[in-house]
Amino acid sequence: MVQRIYDILFALREYVLLSVLLIVSLILLSLNDNVQIKSIRSFATIVLGVGQDQLSFISNYFGLKRENELLRRVNIELADQANQLREAKLENLRLRQMVGLREQSQYSLVAAKVIGKNLTLLRNTLTLDLGAVDSVREQMPVVSEAGLVGVVVAVSDHYSVINIVPNVDFRASVKVQRSRVDGILAWDGKSLMLKNVAKTLDVKNGDVLITSEYSSMFPQGIRVGIVSEVTEQEGTLFKSVTIAPAVDFVKLEEVFVILATPNAERLELDQRAHQRFGR
Amino acid sequence: MERYLRSALIAVALLLLQTTFIPYLSIAGYLPDIFLPWLIFVALRRGQIESTVSGFAVGLLQDIVATQFLGLAAFSKTLTGFIAGYFFHENQVGQNLGTYRYVLLVMLGSVIHNLVYFLIFFQGTEGSVVLSTIQASAATTLYTAVISVLPMFGFSQRYHTSWAQ
Repeated sequence: MVQRIYDILFALREYVLLSVLLIVSLILLSLNDNVQIKSIRSFATIVLGVGQDQLSFISNYFGLKRENELLRRVNIELADQANQLREAKLENLRLRQMVGLREQSQYSLVAAKVIGKNLTLLRNTLTLDLGAVDSVREQMPVVSEAGLVGVVVAVSDHYSVINIVPNVDFRASVKVQRSRVDGILAWDGKSLMLKNVAKTLDVKNGDVLITSEYSSMFPQGIRVGIVSEVTEQEGTLFKSVTIAPAVDFVKLEEVFVILATPNAERLELDQRAHQRFGR
Repeated sequence: MERYLRSALIAVALLLLQTTFIPYLSIAGYLPDIFLPWLIFVALRRGQIESTVSGFAVGLLQDIVATQFLGLAAFSKTLTGFIAGYFFHENQVGQNLGTYRYVLLVMLGSVIHNLVYFLIFFQGTEGSVVLSTIQASAATTLYTAVISVLPMFGFSQRYHTSWAQ
């Protein structure tokens, strides 16, 4: 009997096998929410994940072009946004500093935009968008939130040109804030120098320079720069003092014109002093 | 024993391919099923019993790693393997595998598999189950058949047959 059943099953083995496997499949279909089945599936997913991880270079390669394009576009958009934000932040910072400067100053200040720069080493100038109609006159000092910028040397109705500190024609009477040592600030075409500083005087690296009360052209106390190098000059009585300007003229965008012309009498005296000490 | 081990390794490799590389070949959301050309190959090369068991095994493997119904792919691939096994002829293995007949059989197997699979898969979804089944079956079948041309050329070279024979 058993042998006969076995023979029948063997003869129909393909159908028996199919039936068994289909029944198992249907049972599995009914066990989808079973906890053990879920555990097996999650384990299988982890195992497959390891394999997929090793083969991820395939998907990376195929997705690379699309991803690159997407990233490039996003990058451009973000860079644009970042630029706008940076500009706004910097403008905000500059304006805040300028407002602070205006409030602190005892002089009447008028804000101007730098619309042109001529930075040619020897005679560096800036062009401002303010002119005679804005009460700007020649010899008026120009400052920024960082310090002394220069002096107005030419004025038209709506524009003005200023000689900035790094200009061979520019001179200013300055002093070392710490030791109160006086000197003349001048640009030699390469470096900003503090002239006429005797070897015996106390000037060190890092000292801050401000405009002196002896200056007939600039109000006292405007920051000018920092001493960056002090060397002893052989055969002379003076030190060679190099100054790092307080203002970054390359990045300068907004300035203030101090609406005050120098006292003519003092100006004349100052010029006489320049002639006496020489360049 | 070695043969079964090799089959298991091939199945795992196909599973990895199906889940990593194949999704990038998606056209309008439809993917080819690369298990089916292999299952048809097993049916034509080894016979009905082996293709039935292979169908169940790879279907179950697919079911386990998929988040869909467990047992559904096993059910449909078992049935496909079984039916494909009817086309096994020991003396015509080369002719069946290395010619367009192989592609036609893949297409037939794919139709059977997809109709069964999608008919159950779409149960309970919104819209027409029959329409969705026909649409998905047609697209997947066509895509799978196109993919099966590649192994057909391989078999054609292996068995020295002309694919248009």
